[in-house]
Amino acid sequence: MTEAVLVTGGGGVGKTTVSAALAVTAARAGLRTLVITVDPAKRLADALGLDALGSEPHPHPDEANLWAAMVDSSASWQGLARRHADPAVAERLVENRFFSAATGHFPASQSYAAAEEAARFLDAGAWELVIVDTPPAAGGLEFFTAPAAMTDLIGGRLLRLVTGGWLPGRNFLFDRTARPVLRIADHVLGAGLLEDVAKFLMDMRTTYDGVARRSREIEAHLKRAATVVVTTADPAPIREAVRMFRGLPEVAGRPVAVIFNRTLPAEWALAKPTNSTPLLRDNLARWGAEAARQVDLREEFASRYRTQLAEIPWLPKSPTDLDSLAALVDVAEGFDLRSLIPV
Amino acid sequence: MLERRLIVVSGKGGVGKSALAGALALAGARQGKRVLAISMVGDGGGLATHLGAPPLEFEAREVRPGLSALNIDRSKALIEYLILQAGVPAFAAFSPIARTFDSLASAAPAIREIVTIGKVLWEAKQDRWDLVVADGPPTGQIGSFLTAPTTIMDLIPTGRLRQHVSWMSSHLSDPERFGLVLVSLAEELPVAETVETLAWLESMDIVPPPLVVANRILSELPLPARIPAGPIGDAARHHTSLFEEQARRLERLDPDRTLPFQFGLFTPPEVAAHLADEVAAW
Repeated sequence: MTEAVLVTGGGGVGKTTVSAALAVTAARAGLRTLVITVDPAKRLADALGLDALGSEPHPHPDEANLWAAMVDSSASWQGLARRHADPAVAERLVENRFFSAATGHFPASQSYAAAEEAARFLDAGAWELVIVDTPPAAGGLEFFTAPAAMTDLIGGRLLRLVTGGWLPGRNFLFDRTARPVLRIADHVLGAGLLEDVAKFLMDMRTTYDGVARRSREIEAHLKRAATVVVTTADPAPIREAVRMFRGLPEVAGRPVAVIFNRTLPAEWALAKPTNSTPLLRDNLARWGAEAARQVDLREEFASRYRTQLAEIPWLPKSPTDLDSLAALVDVAEGFDLRSLIPV
Repeated sequence: MLERRLIVVSGKGGVGKSALAGALALAGARQGKRVLAISMVGDGGGLATHLGAPPLEFEAREVRPGLSALNIDRSKALIEYLILQAGVPAFAAFSPIARTFDSLASAAPAIREIVTIGKVLWEAKQDRWDLVVADGPPTGQIGSFLTAPTTIMDLIPTGRLRQHVSWMSSHLSDPERFGLVLVSLAEELPVAETVETLAWLESMDIVPPPLVVANRILSELPLPARIPAGPIGDAARHHTSLFEEQARRLERLDPDRTLPFQFGLFTPPEVAAHLADEVAAW
């Protein structure tokens, strides 16, 4: 069976780097590994051999056992429409001017696409380990709630409100002036907009059964996966990490560990420099204050959420190739990142 | 910058957007201006913590003398919009009709954005504020907010809404009244995203050229010929390599302003207060 590791966390904390590092380590341990990423930095796309854009898994040219794929939201949504709607309806949907807008604007849209792609590759059975670099939206929590939100969107709540409780045929649109909702909508939005949206939603409605079933399958996958939270010692990522630890147990499993990226050596906090220039002493004092702040923050987090903690040192240069990525797992302290890899 | 009526701060997630928005609001209040700080997306948690305020609500509340703050709740903003700007009677705005609109806003393009940017611009017109600072959407979404008025005009040939969007466009394009700030770090992804956003903004020509700010920038540390062993030398080498890496990124970003790295500051209000000193003269 394919195991899954979900790497979550706020923006800019190094989720993609950590995902790639875990993937390289797993591949080198002999596991057929796929890493799925969203919008990677160029250096990581290069390192993972993702030179061409492509949502299908791509074997790494230099590393046996390593595959990488990038999530393409719009391709994923078109696939969804084609799988769950009649061919004619699917074409109409994809062509509809609201399709890309709605799938792009639906807050959990990218998250749903990523979860859907992850589940598709987990079902494929071609890999032993799938590592998912989750989209940064809402620190990753949205990634877990997206399937339910998706069912809700297509579930017709919106349609019921527009149409008054029953699911209409297309005819209702010609009787629209009878409904106060539509009269006011026309007054404010101008004629026709709501009608177009309603047509689009009615087409979406036909995908409901398929999407609802699929959402349950995706949720089951997410519940089985091991989740880690990546953060730095900065306020915004910490808030996201807290949200994951508080909110995730309600929708999936508890995170296995929190990974503090860009950690400074704790001994800098205590160092009492002597015999050096004032410039260098001041420099150590500044970085020591920063190290002390990090130590306090980590200890508070670990005691409050009673979780395992891994620390990845702050490297002045970000990893740009497979060896430096793999080295990241080796230099990490605390919780052993290798234990995430089911060898 | 603080002389404008409205400043919107945008940037990639995690670069210090809320900290800078909070700092600009604080700096304005320190100069005796009546300031409103607005969180445009999310739950307003980032802005609230940097202002040292309790969770923000849709009603503006004074968080310290001369400085009020609010968080845009889309459903409430929509009701307010329907009543104040679209001329829908209050009884109708609180009916299921409003809920319908709310649901619609999740599917119809530009409606969520127009309601949000509409609320911000509406507040900026009010006499009770000298300065409105918005903790804006991330750079990935800023485009759909700034183009919402024109998108609406393209989509909707008639209707009340259309009449209200042309003043929005004119406010957003006026450099005397509106300033956009793009924050970045001197790191690969934020720089790439900022440069991309700048090129897009230039091609669209809908807002005045933004002020580009590089956050958490280190200053140069002259190294002696012999670097001592132990933490003192390690910290010196760490600083210097980071400084050199940042210098390379800054060359590409070419920022208008830089903000220093804040060493060892524990709380977001401390960070915002320090940054407010820096931005006071902008």
